[in-house]
Amino acid sequence: MPPSLTIALSGINAIDNPGPGVGVARSLKEDPDLHARILGLAYDAMEPGIYMDWVVDKSYIMPYPSGDGDAYFDRLAFIRDQQGIDFLIPNFDAELPLYIKRASKLAEAGFKTFLPTMEQFKLRGKDKLIEVAERIDIGLPKTRVVSSLDQFAAAIEEIKLPVMVKGSFYKAYRAYTYAEAIGHYHALVAEWGYPIIVQEIVTGEELNVIGVGDGAGGSLGLVGIKKMSVTALGKIWTGVTIKHAAMLEATQRFIREYRWRGPFELECIVRDEDVFLIEINPRFPAWVYFATGVGVNLPARMVRHCLGLPVPPTPDYEAGKLFVRYTYELVTDMSTFQKAITRGEAP
Amino acid sequence: MRTLSQLALSDEGFVFDPNTGDSFQVSATGLFLLQALKDGRGDDEAAQLLTEKYEVTLEEARRDCADFRSRLRNLNLA
Amino acid sequence: MKLAYEKPVINKLRSGLMNKFGWSPAYARKVRTNIDGVSIDDLVERYGSPLFVYSERTARQRYRQMYNAFSTRYPNVQFGWSYKTNYLQAVCALMHQEGAIAEVVSAMEYDKARALGMPGDQIIFNGPHKPYAALEKAVSEGAVINIDHLDEIVDLETIAKKLGRTVHVGMRLNLDAGIYPQWSRFGFNLESGQALDAVKRMASGGKLKLNGLHCHIGTFIMDPQAYAREVEKMVKFGYEIEDAFGFGMEYLDIGGGFPSQSRLKGVYLPPEVAIPNIDEYAETITTALSHALKPGDFPKLIIESGRALIDEAGYLVTTVVATKRLVDGTRAYVADAGVNLLFTAFWYKFNVELDREAGGVNETSVIYGPLCMNIDAIDEGIQLPPLKRGARLIFSPVGAYNNTQWLQFIEYRPNVVLVTTNGEVEVIREAEDLSDIQRRERLPKHLELLKKA
Repeated sequence: MPPSLTIALSGINAIDNPGPGVGVARSLKEDPDLHARILGLAYDAMEPGIYMDWVVDKSYIMPYPSGDGDAYFDRLAFIRDQQGIDFLIPNFDAELPLYIKRASKLAEAGFKTFLPTMEQFKLRGKDKLIEVAERIDIGLPKTRVVSSLDQFAAAIEEIKLPVMVKGSFYKAYRAYTYAEAIGHYHALVAEWGYPIIVQEIVTGEELNVIGVGDGAGGSLGLVGIKKMSVTALGKIWTGVTIKHAAMLEATQRFIREYRWRGPFELECIVRDEDVFLIEINPRFPAWVYFATGVGVNLPARMVRHCLGLPVPPTPDYEAGKLFVRYTYELVTDMSTFQKAITRGEAP
Repeated sequence: MRTLSQLALSDEGFVFDPNTGDSFQVSATGLFLLQALKDGRGDDEAAQLLTEKYEVTLEEARRDCADFRSRLRNLNLA
Repeated sequence: MKLAYEKPVINKLRSGLMNKFGWSPAYARKVRTNIDGVSIDDLVERYGSPLFVYSERTARQRYRQMYNAFSTRYPNVQFGWSYKTNYLQAVCALMHQEGAIAEVVSAMEYDKARALGMPGDQIIFNGPHKPYAALEKAVSEGAVINIDHLDEIVDLETIAKKLGRTVHVGMRLNLDAGIYPQWSRFGFNLESGQALDAVKRMASGGKLKLNGLHCHIGTFIMDPQAYAREVEKMVKFGYEIEDAFGFGMEYLDIGGGFPSQSRLKGVYLPPEVAIPNIDEYAETITTALSHALKPGDFPKLIIESGRALIDEAGYLVTTVVATKRLVDGTRAYVADAGVNLLFTAFWYKFNVELDREAGGVNETSVIYGPLCMNIDAIDEGIQLPPLKRGARLIFSPVGAYNNTQWLQFIEYRPNVVLVTTNGEVEVIREAEDLSDIQRRERLPKHLELLKKA
């Protein structure tokens, strides 16, 4: 039996606005050749992944990436010295700039990652979507990037209610009235700062693609899905795999044109044959396990690709496979929580 | 004081209040004081005990005990 | 043997905030024992607290780094030191030694630059308020004048007539560079045709010769592309007026507004990540210039940077004078300096360092200043270990705008020292005493209080 791989990853907050970590961890565990040992990197002692010992083997509380970068990477080095880290998968948008800025230092320190470049990362900026949409020949709803209340009001005037109000990192709200929009604006500014994005609501089917680019214009696999129902926060609850030709072709163009490196998710709205780009996420989406479930284990394929392990030919998937998210409970005593609080690691 | 006596204290500084379900984290000296108060010692006595175990003057210990006590009151623990 | 003491702390665990590093000694605290090798203890002992400390080494490094970033990419670069950012003489002199000319925005600043020994032709005079006498003096001394409004054109024509010669002038533009809010109250608007009208007016008057364009798109601009848009528009306009009126542009003054590594409130990411480095600005600006300019045309590129050059060189050392517990249980500290000295606290979250290691669990704390006003809070939510009275807190970066916008309100302003490149400490502004506050006052005879014999 080959030695196990220790893979550290963040985003194990499998809550109502879930991070991708648990899905990524589960995918890695399901690749029988990897023998993955998962280290969860958590920001709060209540992240459910800490308690899911069948998915996450050990968890560490991390300093926030918004604080001092040195503290964050000192902590990572500490974990590596304790446990060894063969591969590192940051799963939050807010972590990525820090990782990308320090990419060469991380590589020097022996950390293996597979991340987009800073130029690629910046494409996710809602103001860059205009350029991306043009280059990969895809539509774009009317979008305004604002950083003051005046501008915000002007943007709403221009785009007309209802609108989508989006934060620079996370969260998107639909607003039907001006008062509602202002409420979202203030909440988003308080939590994530500027800028705020105002976008026209395009009606149609909400289709998404998950993929991993190899950095040379090729793909390690793609899966297209349609969200059948979403939560109040717009997170997928049930979905179905699809093969929308126009959308998948646009995605291939995206990978090829930008030589995308690493995981990504494209969020689109499709109205008949028109595909509108809503968002680029430079990381795995929280529903990453959906792709794994239909035979396209992207996290495992990415790790194999990066570590020089054999990567099987890109598998196809069937359209019409269903994804059903559900709630489930776990009951445990306080010892894991207590350790996460007092020692910053558990169990 | 009833609340205090019911608190579950761990050596690592984790405190659980079975009454309310609240959890707390407490520093080493905080834990020491909590234990002393739980044992029914008064502030002066607790401060005295602090000076016996730690490198601290009685004056500073007294002030810190009073502050800690007001903090506990804030947290509805005393 | 007794154990080392740390103050007792108890924190309630709150969902969403259960992060050990909020409280951890190892990861959340920063200690600074010295500035450029001079110990904080030593500095406070000799010069008191609070104390502004500038690092000459950092200031010069920042200047050279930024100047090189531009001058290696464009052949004709001139920095103008933005006096309003910090007009302590030592700071200005240091910038002039490095090669910057002076950029002033008021009669007072003009006088300051002259008093420091800068000749008129090494001064750029900007701003919306140039009193006639100051303007006349500046023109006669050969200063670069960037016109802000039409009334100034009238004043300058009067001066030209009086001097009996044509006067060279620049004009300030305001334009849409994609930055909000757009600073449209300064200069002449480009897109609306206001700027072109002003040029026509100058051309028809025949007394003024326009030879430069100035613009300043805002402050703490975190998008280098905004400067590219600014530069493109300025160059295009320059060529248009050259074609129409024969005014050749000898300089393009793109203003300042470059950010420092300070943390703006409301920006989630740390400055290390959120703020592009100066090379990105230089690359974007010079690339835009080379695309926009005709081959072989290299007008002087003037950059009026202030904050990006001096902010990181400044520290404020303060002392905790009291510790408190607020009604809601929050720990509060009263420092001997507050928003009176740190005006920029209103929009920055400073880097806060302790002068020594402190043990114990961190608590969410508030740092108040010495003023008897509610607004005087330097940090309203910082994780700090319990501090004793007398502990020192070092705030940075504070080199930009604090020594020009500080308030005299109820307190004396403290010493400002410079740690020189060879590690010496020089006082560059003495602490104030009552005579500084009262020197200009006059007490009418009938109000004099009876002195007790």
